[in-house]
Amino acid sequence: MIRPDNRLADLPMTPVECQRCHATVQVRKSSWQQTSVQWDEAGARTCLERRSSPSGGSIRDTDFFTCAGLRESIAQAALSGEIPMVEGSAPRGGRGPAGAPAEERAVTQ
Amino acid sequence: MTTAPESGVRAIEAAAAPTRFARGWHCLGLADKFRDGKPHSIQAFGQKLVVFQSGDGKLNVLDAYCRHMGGDLSQGTVKGDEIACPFHDWRWGGDGRCKQIPYARRVPLRARTAAWPTLDQDGMLFVWNDPEGNPPREEEALPMIEGALDDEWTDWLWYETVVDTNVREVIDNNADMAHFFYVHLTFPTYFKNIFEGHIAAQYMNGKAREDARPRLPEGSPQLIGNTSVAAYYGPSFMTDELTYNYDRMDVRTTLINCHYPIDENSFVLQYGIIVKKQDGLDEKAAMEVANTQALYVRRGFEQDVQIWKNKARIDNPLLCEEDGPVYQLRRWYEQFYVDVADIEPAMVERFEYELDTTRPNEVWEKQVQDNLAAKAAAQGRTPVS
Repeated sequence: MIRPDNRLADLPMTPVECQRCHATVQVRKSSWQQTSVQWDEAGARTCLERRSSPSGGSIRDTDFFTCAGLRESIAQAALSGEIPMVEGSAPRGGRGPAGAPAEERAVTQ
Repeated sequence: MTTAPESGVRAIEAAAAPTRFARGWHCLGLADKFRDGKPHSIQAFGQKLVVFQSGDGKLNVLDAYCRHMGGDLSQGTVKGDEIACPFHDWRWGGDGRCKQIPYARRVPLRARTAAWPTLDQDGMLFVWNDPEGNPPREEEALPMIEGALDDEWTDWLWYETVVDTNVREVIDNNADMAHFFYVHLTFPTYFKNIFEGHIAAQYMNGKAREDARPRLPEGSPQLIGNTSVAAYYGPSFMTDELTYNYDRMDVRTTLINCHYPIDENSFVLQYGIIVKKQDGLDEKAAMEVANTQALYVRRGFEQDVQIWKNKARIDNPLLCEEDGPVYQLRRWYEQFYVDVADIEPAMVERFEYELDTTRPNEVWEKQVQDNLAAKAAAQGRTPVS
């Protein structure tokens, strides 16, 4: 029997659309450092980076470790407050107003 | 273990461990130990198996009990390409068919026993277990291991031990962040799980723990940290490419962590290590690294085993936000316990869990504050916080 994660009762996953290719995945952040991403078949089919990776998105050859476009879109959504975060982990005053423009806060590493 | 619901006490829920055994490749150990010309008795998947090398060099795995009168083939003798039963000398081939009955003119129809598909790869013997009786799935082929059986690397250093609990406990470890500190002896700075298809991967970068570094000879380079790329390929076989980063060199090791169930309440836990020899790391030094690493891995598992022996089976673990994706890992693991036709998309669709501590909280905070300030400035007022 598959049981749901008890933590999803406190905070479910939120859909996030990739700014680059519009693939949609489910995202949950428990903190600034932690990110969970649930893909489904439609998202996997839409993601450009995944489709163009040599293995076609398989983790077997570890060449689809992550999608950079999606990673950036998630970071932006987190900074703009579109992704709710678990209580207590958001920085003081950090629950940015939803819908704030994301362009100026690109996060890259 | 159960309490009245109105008390507010959380009850531990646990169904009995499944009596069905996982579909997939299972490693039975180093292949060489089965190449002594004798039959070997193995308790696995709730039954007794016989492993023997036939005259053609192939390793074979059959149900141990002779279909004639139930003799134990693992007490028999290898004769040519067949295993001969100690009871009446019936001869069974690696394909499960009775080839000859020395005292009979012909073999009866349907003289066929259960044979497990085998794979002899990288110095290890694998069997394919499938409750549906289908041949190995191509998409679940095991990866070749770089360095195995290669003179540039050490030989396998291999351990095995019996653990008296259900195999799920060892699987749970894969999503358990905290065990990196204890088992792999590092402070993780980056951690990621990816579960997809039949693979459950785990990527980790860590800083060395001062109290637990592989010892190299005097005057050797300093250990800075390590990177680990580990993955379960199917339900029981994990490879871990573990590289130790020194200030002047990288030491590459491969760790295998695998198991096979004896029955639903016990399993054989195995781990193997190879280390790449290189400049500054001759055969002896490489073996020393392997031995030291094996010692730490063994200690880590011994601690786990101590916990497993005494803990309760729990289907509804109460996780906090700092815990890893235990439920998602179990959801992935479930695919091996249902018929292939019943595998649900949720069991195999990609799930990622990432923890990145290389970008400190302060950086995020500052960026949020900057954003708020910029937004406030644009609106001609000061930010409220």
